[in-house]
Amino acid sequence: MKRTYLISDLVWIGFAAIVCWGGLKLGFGTFHQPLAGFMPFLSGLILGLLALVDLVSGAITHWKGEKADNEIWANIHWGKLLLTLALLFIYTAFFNTLGFIIATILLLLFLYRVMEPRPWWMVVIASVVTTGLFYLGFKVGLDSQLPGGFLGF
Amino acid sequence: MDLINYLFLGFSVAFQPMNLFYCFLGVLIGTLVGVLPGLGPVAAMSLLLPATFHTTPVASIIMMAGIYYGAMYGGSTTSILVNIPGEAASVMTCLDGYQMARKGRAGPALGISAFGSFIAGTIGIIGMMLISPPLVNFALKFGPPEYFSLMILGLMILTFLTSASMVRALMMAAFGLIVGCIGLDNISGLARFAFNIPELLDGVGLVPVVMGLFGISEVMLNIELKIKREVFTSEVKGLLPTLGDWGKSIWSIIRGTVIGFFLGILPGGGAVIASFVSYAIEKRVSQHPEEFGQGAIEGVAAPEAANNAAAQGAFIPLLTLGIPSNVVMAMLLGALIIHGVTPGPLLLADHPQLFWGVVASMYVGNAMLLALNLPLIGIWVQLLRVPYSILFPLIILFCLIGSYSINNSSMDVLIMLVFGVIGYLMKKLSLEAAPMVLAFVLGPMLETALRQSLIKSKGSFSIFFTRPISAVCLILAIALLIMPMLPWFHRPGAALEHEDVT
Repeated sequence: MKRTYLISDLVWIGFAAIVCWGGLKLGFGTFHQPLAGFMPFLSGLILGLLALVDLVSGAITHWKGEKADNEIWANIHWGKLLLTLALLFIYTAFFNTLGFIIATILLLLFLYRVMEPRPWWMVVIASVVTTGLFYLGFKVGLDSQLPGGFLGF
Repeated sequence: MDLINYLFLGFSVAFQPMNLFYCFLGVLIGTLVGVLPGLGPVAAMSLLLPATFHTTPVASIIMMAGIYYGAMYGGSTTSILVNIPGEAASVMTCLDGYQMARKGRAGPALGISAFGSFIAGTIGIIGMMLISPPLVNFALKFGPPEYFSLMILGLMILTFLTSASMVRALMMAAFGLIVGCIGLDNISGLARFAFNIPELLDGVGLVPVVMGLFGISEVMLNIELKIKREVFTSEVKGLLPTLGDWGKSIWSIIRGTVIGFFLGILPGGGAVIASFVSYAIEKRVSQHPEEFGQGAIEGVAAPEAANNAAAQGAFIPLLTLGIPSNVVMAMLLGALIIHGVTPGPLLLADHPQLFWGVVASMYVGNAMLLALNLPLIGIWVQLLRVPYSILFPLIILFCLIGSYSINNSSMDVLIMLVFGVIGYLMKKLSLEAAPMVLAFVLGPMLETALRQSLIKSKGSFSIFFTRPISAVCLILAIALLIMPMLPWFHRPGAALEHEDVT
């Protein structure tokens, strides 16, 4: 079964419909005087039509030559993947409040342990050293504006 | 005579100590990101773009260009020794390079790759020098309809060459156009799809999008896979190819250079496509095609020459027409605009020191790369031994800092993560990111050109077909769209899909 491609095309068609609707709301104008919604509407229309073509041709050929669902989604370490993503979103949320140094040390503590279990003392040292090197390289060396957070540096 | 005078001007700029330093830094970083899987030239350029704000435009572009062609050199090392392409343009080098390494010929494979890259890079620069000035005069005839049609042709070429499914590649191009619409409308100033988020009024930034699609998504894929790396370190000796190797490779290098250079010039072409096409052609013209994939040295020489020549050729449309032909050139376009330089037909006249300085620095950079890649091979090999569990947090950190430091905005980091997830799903569903990014970059220019043309023609689409340059571009684009529907026609992209890459 190749349900993944079917769902994907349906999602693209739905997305394209929303964009077209958004384009019309912004105002399509005329070909003589195109308005702000002209390009979004056209792009959405093209995307929707192409997704429909992909869906119909796939359904007719039963997605011949495409990967099977279990081939696409097999052997994925969902735990590691979702944990890493969650950590990154949390990091982004608290980046400005905690500041670069604290937020990054905390992020690295977990990331260094995601792929393989290591002793905590080693992870702590690696996280602090890595954060320090990045801080020196970017903040001091390249003058990048990294948030100081509540510590103020 | 003018050409020689300009070249002297270029060398006087390139040999300034500061520019030499930035050239060295660029090729060094380029080689490094080329060697390291998961961090390509686009991500590295995005990361270092803010760091160049304090330098001169010439130094900035010299460094950025160095990263690009440096990555083309470095990418081959990983392909040959680990069978993992350091960046996309080195995918084809894996096929025979790794087999050569397994047979104890890693040295000649690395050697021919470096020499082939050097020869192709140098010829590419000469071609760029000769073609750019006449192209500028031609480009002055371009108006909005010509720009629109040329950009459509570029997108069509990219979708035609890169993906097995042209429909899906076109879908991604349409998606890129939609993402490019986010923010204030260029003509009316109306906010589009900004959802009252102030950061989105300026549109979605190129750096977060690119870092998400190419950096974060790659990390996500690598987390889920257990990559087994087998590094052929003990057998790296005898880097100089033998006379026999040269005999087999020289025509492959020349063919690869010509193919790469012209595919690089085409909007929508680029190093990745060039390496794929040159490998396919090399296999076709070879008298012993059965040796390809088993360690044929021509299979290393041709794609490596092609990707380096393409890297040089790709600068031509950017510097003469102001149109980026691929994602890396889009990054360079961004860098030029940030530095107050508008690429296009007037660049050569208004900023000759920049144009010729960058050209001359490429000669210097190519020589530096030859010096870096052969003697320092041991250091690059050591880098490959760094386990991915240590490497991936560093890549993530580079991406996080890179996307944040452009505007000092957490929203950019969030956008990067969202596009990381989108990029991951796209890779899972065999949807290509390259057409999406190119359409995203060209989108605002394309829209402006389309709307200006329609206003000028009072709503008639005939304006695109009554002007010769525009008509030729559109007819070619339509031909590319129709050709895959012909039953006897096989697209190169579709054929390449079946090559055993990993």
